[in-house]
Amino acid sequence: MAETPRTSDVDVAVIGGGPAGLAAALGAKRAGAGRVLVLERDRTLGGILNQCVHDGFGLFLYKETISGPEYAERLAENALREGVAVETGAMVLDLGPDRLLRVNARGGYSLVRAGAVVLAMGCRERTRDMIGIPGTRPAGIYTAGSAQRLVNLQNLRVGNEAVILGSGDIGLIMARRLTFEGVRVKGVFEIMPWANGLERNIRQCLMDFGIPLELRTTVVEIRGRDRVESVVTAEVDDRLAPVAGTETVVPCDTLLLSVGLVPENELSKRAGVELSPLTGGAVVDETLMTSVPGVFSCGNVLHIHDVADWASFEGFAAGERAARYAAGERPAGRTVRVSAGPEVRYALPQTARAGAAGVEWSFRAVRPLRDVRVEVRGRDSGRIYARRKFGRILPSELQKIRVRAAVDEDLEVGLHD
Amino acid sequence: MTDRPAVDRLTCVLCPVGCELEVARTAAGGVAVAGNRCDKGVSFAEEEVLRPKRNLATSVPAKGTAARMVSVRLSAPVPREMIFPVLAEIGKLRPEAPVRRGQVLIADVLGTGADVLATRTVRGQT
Amino acid sequence: MDEAKDGVYDVAVIGGGVVGCAVLRELSRYDLRLLLLERQSDLAEGVSKGNSGVIHAGFNVPSGSLKARANVEGLGLMYPLAAALGVPHRMTGKLVVALSDEGRPRLEELLAEGRRSGVPGLEIVDEAAIRRLEPLARGRWALYSARTGIVSPYELVFALAESAWRNGAEVALEAPVEAVAVEGGTFRLATPRGKFAARRVVNSAGLFADEVARLAGSADFRVYPYRGEYLITDKDGGFRLGMPVYPVPPRDDPGLGIHLTPTMEGHILLGPSAEPVAAKDDLASTREVAERLKAEAGRLVPGLERAPFIHAYTGLRPKLVPPASGGLFADFVVAESGRLPGWIDLAGIESPGLTAAPAIARMVADLIGTGMALRPKTDFEPGLPERRRFADLGDAERARLVAADADWGEMVCRCEHVPRAEVAAALRNPFGARSLDAVKRRTRCGMGRCQGGFCTPRLVDILEEEGLPPDRVTKRGGGSRLFYGRLKD
Repeated sequence: MAETPRTSDVDVAVIGGGPAGLAAALGAKRAGAGRVLVLERDRTLGGILNQCVHDGFGLFLYKETISGPEYAERLAENALREGVAVETGAMVLDLGPDRLLRVNARGGYSLVRAGAVVLAMGCRERTRDMIGIPGTRPAGIYTAGSAQRLVNLQNLRVGNEAVILGSGDIGLIMARRLTFEGVRVKGVFEIMPWANGLERNIRQCLMDFGIPLELRTTVVEIRGRDRVESVVTAEVDDRLAPVAGTETVVPCDTLLLSVGLVPENELSKRAGVELSPLTGGAVVDETLMTSVPGVFSCGNVLHIHDVADWASFEGFAAGERAARYAAGERPAGRTVRVSAGPEVRYALPQTARAGAAGVEWSFRAVRPLRDVRVEVRGRDSGRIYARRKFGRILPSELQKIRVRAAVDEDLEVGLHD
Repeated sequence: MTDRPAVDRLTCVLCPVGCELEVARTAAGGVAVAGNRCDKGVSFAEEEVLRPKRNLATSVPAKGTAARMVSVRLSAPVPREMIFPVLAEIGKLRPEAPVRRGQVLIADVLGTGADVLATRTVRGQT
Repeated sequence: MDEAKDGVYDVAVIGGGVVGCAVLRELSRYDLRLLLLERQSDLAEGVSKGNSGVIHAGFNVPSGSLKARANVEGLGLMYPLAAALGVPHRMTGKLVVALSDEGRPRLEELLAEGRRSGVPGLEIVDEAAIRRLEPLARGRWALYSARTGIVSPYELVFALAESAWRNGAEVALEAPVEAVAVEGGTFRLATPRGKFAARRVVNSAGLFADEVARLAGSADFRVYPYRGEYLITDKDGGFRLGMPVYPVPPRDDPGLGIHLTPTMEGHILLGPSAEPVAAKDDLASTREVAERLKAEAGRLVPGLERAPFIHAYTGLRPKLVPPASGGLFADFVVAESGRLPGWIDLAGIESPGLTAAPAIARMVADLIGTGMALRPKTDFEPGLPERRRFADLGDAERARLVAADADWGEMVCRCEHVPRAEVAAALRNPFGARSLDAVKRRTRCGMGRCQGGFCTPRLVDILEEEGLPPDRVTKRGGGSRLFYGRLKD
């Protein structure tokens, strides 16, 4: 009595209903796509924004600063109002050839055939074992984002005395959030010589409450059999190796990890999408299309953003291009490659159609620098396609530079004195 | 809240230049600022060192459930020393669903002029 | 007190590891009242949770030893047993590689030892054959063992226990034996869960077998914990290993040398190290060993040292060899106590204990059968109901399952594709294990790349809906609580 799964056709399927995915759906709809479907695995739209109850979102998209849930609701309302179809509690398990999606939901297991697909699955957090913290394996170790969800959405006290490893923004925000709830935050430890979060968050989340931030310091051991009882911190040398003799035992019952985000490309890998080792996300062209024709990518699944608004803007662009692809538009012609030059970790998109004009590149600096110029240079000609000055640039900030002219050779995005 | 040192270092966040300011309190109760590349740095430092204001956000359970949370924030920043008193007020809230996004849960909390707003819509029990 | 209610068991097994559960399941073929007592909040929480999951062929242990006999016998029993119980397993073959000609004599020794013990399917192969058999491996010579395989170790333990339970055996968790008394041929075992009486006792307490034996006064052996650390690669890390790859066993290593083992799911295990430790709960991992595991793995499979790792874990071997003695070998103890007739001690069951477990179980049945009539049950059911993993099913079957029960449509674990229906089934396990680790080992929920980051909040909700409030949610029972109540009541 085998049943054939229900199969439906859409013009654009968007995988993920967070700030990038919802914007992609809107972008596709506004570009004229007929049926646009957002598939969201959580029970509510908005993705990780729902647990980001602090303000600081929306300054660029809505021209005012609002909280994550407000941003999510507003974007979701816009999408629904403009005719985007939405399925929540629906997880895409597979993206096969010819853009056939396998979708599981309480309402049924089904197949969706899409004219174009936008990947917007977001990211996940780096874990204890990805950075290899030795010691015991007790309860009380949380990634900062998991703890944020448990605290803000599930009303749970994750601990009484916490140590935070990593100075990413989620960790800083959680330091304040836990302090608000009477949890004693004993310190934030950062292995790098600079903080990874925004200045504003260091000031408002740590300094306001006297929470120490120790740079060049990491957690070298976790202790405690059933529940965390303490962590051992140590200073690190220039190669980031712990320095013997600098160990300090910090009693605590909770360790929060805010040690980086990784684009969540499991589905992309199944679909055969080429990934960049530098971003962890897809290699894309200037239309945000991946190596698999008709599959586009945006938001944190493409590369990690510092501001949700930029993920949404990237979503609008990807959605628009996906709609055009679904309508039959096929960009053609030679492509040029774009690489990261001096002091730049990566530049995205990694390729562009020769002759494309007005392309905007995202990039990140390798380390904090002052008084530098970013330049987009022709690799052969040495021609400077665009240049912009920065009084100060930080690795934690995603930066942009637009090239107005048409590009017709391989390019390099670099930082120069 | 901690005692602040006599000289405060802060990064001006008004523009991308990000001047690193050194701010000293003067005997007259004002501040002396160094490291700023423009005048905006002075007013930023004055505000941040002498009269810091903060918004704040948290979440509270909806009435009758321990786990259905309504997130909240303030409509405007309040003086930093009001953070914990305001949090204590918010901690007493048990809003009854349905709650609308933007709904005022406490008006002019503790006379600060700021309202406590729901930042999420929670539908009633169905 | 409780005894009056429970009556007297024919056999009580102490210890819910692979050996104890294999014994319980073997005895459940017979018309006996059976009880298993486990000190932890779940089965497979001791020695059995930290091993490589290798079905050993039997050439690594001296011929003529009980280890060799039990291993070779166990090899013959394990594949049909795993198949009957529906436990994922595969006969993969295995390579013990010598990187140069120098190692070849040692391989010849292993081959000869294995042949003396009657190990089937052994041959020495050359470089070209190594590459053909396992393209990732490098070596000049190798001992190839065709019959070696892999099995999912926790699933084997759970399946053995569930099979025994379906055939009438009882299991009590969080029931460490704290006192033993002998009265008129009956053993009285005191635990925090009550007192139990049994005519025969099988002490299969692993690391704690010596302490249990001392409580009873059955024997004077001592168990020394040897710690072994492991690393697990991400299954998308670019390395697909077809079979276990071992180095020539170092002569001074209390283990088999740091080796590589594929899991049923496509990860690679690196390890274990072998290091005596003072405490039987010392499961801490160290930076030094992690670096050594990677370095040695890179010698067997170049590049593996830079693979992405998703998890580290540590196991303890219950050895009978004192660390300072200089000795490396001690045989399994499978014996009825001379002082306490009816009391059977199983001790020092380290590698190849997992493979040997079904054979040891038969030996125990023989020992019990010498003093007690074993009448086979006519209704013994050797198998378990088929367990379907959503991740392994085709479209039509998935659609049918979700249509019949919406819980199959609610994905809890995004990394390993575990739906709520599988989580619910795990929570309703017959032994009542309800910790996050209990769910993880039964469903793989939390074993993937996010290591529980996404599914833990979901599981907390599901546990509450299944009757376990957040206050009582633990990682693995005992004091491993996750939360300190609600933030706001």
